Amino acid sequence: MKLLPAIDLMDGQCVRLKQGDYAQRTTYTWSPLQMANLFEKMGYEWLHIIDLDGAREGESRNKETIKNILASTGLKVQVGGGIRSLAQIEGWFKLGVSRMLVGTLAVEQPEVLGEAVKKFGSEAIVVTMDVKDGVIRTRGWKEAAPINIKDFISRLISSGVRSIFCTDISRDGMKDGPNVELYEKLVRDYPEIYWIAAGGIRTPYDRKKLANVGVKEVIIGSLFYEGSLLTKRIIPCLDVKEGRTVKGIKFLDLKDAGDPVELAKTYAEQGADELVFLDITAAKESRPTMLDWVRKVAEVTSIPFTVGGGISSVDDIRSILECGADKVSLNSAIIKNPELINEASKQFGAQCIVAAVDLRKTPKGWKVFIKGGSEETDWGALDWIQEVERRGAGEILLTSMDNDGTKQGFDLELLRAVKAHISIPVIASGGAGSMQDFSDLFQENLAEAGLAASIFHYGEIPIPQLKQYLASQSIMMRL
Amino acid sequence: MITLVDYNAGNVTSLVYALKRLGAEFQVTADPQVLKKASKIIFPGQGAAGAGMSVLKERGLAEVLQKTCVPFLGICLGMQLLFDTSDEDKTEALGLVPGRVSRFENKGFKVPHMGWNLVKYAGKSPLFEGIPDESFFYFANSYKAPLGESTQGVTFYGEPFSSVIQKNNLFGVQFHPEKSGEMGLRLLSNFLAL
Repeated sequence: MKLLPAIDLMDGQCVRLKQGDYAQRTTYTWSPLQMANLFEKMGYEWLHIIDLDGAREGESRNKETIKNILASTGLKVQVGGGIRSLAQIEGWFKLGVSRMLVGTLAVEQPEVLGEAVKKFGSEAIVVTMDVKDGVIRTRGWKEAAPINIKDFISRLISSGVRSIFCTDISRDGMKDGPNVELYEKLVRDYPEIYWIAAGGIRTPYDRKKLANVGVKEVIIGSLFYEGSLLTKRIIPCLDVKEGRTVKGIKFLDLKDAGDPVELAKTYAEQGADELVFLDITAAKESRPTMLDWVRKVAEVTSIPFTVGGGISSVDDIRSILECGADKVSLNSAIIKNPELINEASKQFGAQCIVAAVDLRKTPKGWKVFIKGGSEETDWGALDWIQEVERRGAGEILLTSMDNDGTKQGFDLELLRAVKAHISIPVIASGGAGSMQDFSDLFQENLAEAGLAASIFHYGEIPIPQLKQYLASQSIMMRL
Repeated sequence: MITLVDYNAGNVTSLVYALKRLGAEFQVTADPQVLKKASKIIFPGQGAAGAGMSVLKERGLAEVLQKTCVPFLGICLGMQLLFDTSDEDKTEALGLVPGRVSRFENKGFKVPHMGWNLVKYAGKSPLFEGIPDESFFYFANSYKAPLGESTQGVTFYGEPFSSVIQKNNLFGVQFHPEKSGEMGLRLLSNFLAL
């Protein structure tokens, strides 16, 4: 399946429209020629250009720009936007364009379309069909076509058309995945057509799904300019006591669960994105033992890991980072001494500092608890979260103590309540019991990562299976 | 000898362990005289741009880096400091690659850009030998380098930015190869093999 990057041109500049609305437009800083050069460097063969001025006013202002692109790069170009006559089509082919896209013309002037296909060939003429809620939309998406999809396609086929570019415009530039069912049906019902898709294609797995149902080409638009391919992270959490990992329910009945080094290796092999280790050894003299296992884990681990558990000073943090840990998690220590966040962030960088915040719902709203959720502090959830962010924490590990151990799902209510007030990454913790729980968490974009312990330790949810499942839901995952 | 620049701004331990896992022979230094004789230089960066440049200048390391002709790999801040300037602390950086490093605008995405993101190739860098296009690497950055002539890899986070650059002997990666699993180790090993 081929991928085509897109440039939408308005007045010689690259712009992006949201759902085809000219009022919701952003102008991109790079010039169309710069973007074309980059696309060529990235290995693309074809470039999809929409002349937005042509689509609206019926005349092109961007001919010069496209001429430059053709002269300066080896890219093959296809152009669409406001094509209304055979003469226009001819003009573009004379300029050196390889394919022409026609939309409204195909609906309103089927005879001209027929002539164009006859004159230039069915490979050079692509009919664009923009659909929203099962209706074809024309004239820059402002009008509904007076013909239904089935009749339209039949008419196209009898005109000799063999390439159709169908966009589900309700998905264009927005956050949902592509309308795979629509394309599946189109390919199945009209296998003689070379189908091109666009709209809502976010992840490499979205593309794979479309390839699997028989789509031949995909136009990548807004993803390039505004999208994010940062994956959601799956993070197992391991408790360590006196240098050995332990398993238990809420610190009771702890059983030895093995060597942290071996477990780190195993989890990394299974595809864990990151690890969190919590040292639950009570005594302070345990520090040398802690540094010892941290060092050993660091020696063999190629994925990031965070260490927490009784870390209370800059010196503590330094020695743990110097042993090879990538981040430290601070909990009670920063409640007692919030200034520690500022100092540590300044010394080591915000990205090394994770603020672990444990919350319980009380009659006075969500409050911060320390000592494993047993001691209530004076801090309200939002106030403390904003405080740690303000002081320079790079990430928040947010644990719902109410949901922890229940396997009833992450505390979505809590995460929704705090979402609007946090601008640093959030690792959600507490309550994960099923793959669906992670899906719910990420579909609503309530956290950047999901952390869990027992479901992974007891082998209830294999990490590879979880990640495949989430990827199939259009959630960006590292597979 | 392969030389790692450690000016004590942060944690180079992960990188040291990664190089050890690759069986590399290397030395760690903050001494410009030692650095001048390096056969290859790896410059990991942690902490902030302003403090980083100050230390490099104070210790005479900036000059050595600016004049070096051996293969050089800048990691994270180490890549950003290759550019003209950084908006972080309004820093004048090494000026070896044209462009200005700027902060991610909060366009509904969290800052820092933290986690695994993919790198889409924009060229055929020797760093990519044996690494499939669109592989994932681990990022932890609030600032990013602009797209330009030196761009070899592009990453998408609310906007496209340069995640891999090359200009002559100078290579830069925005992500942490020492923390990016097998692909990261492969990239490091490709650099060592140059």
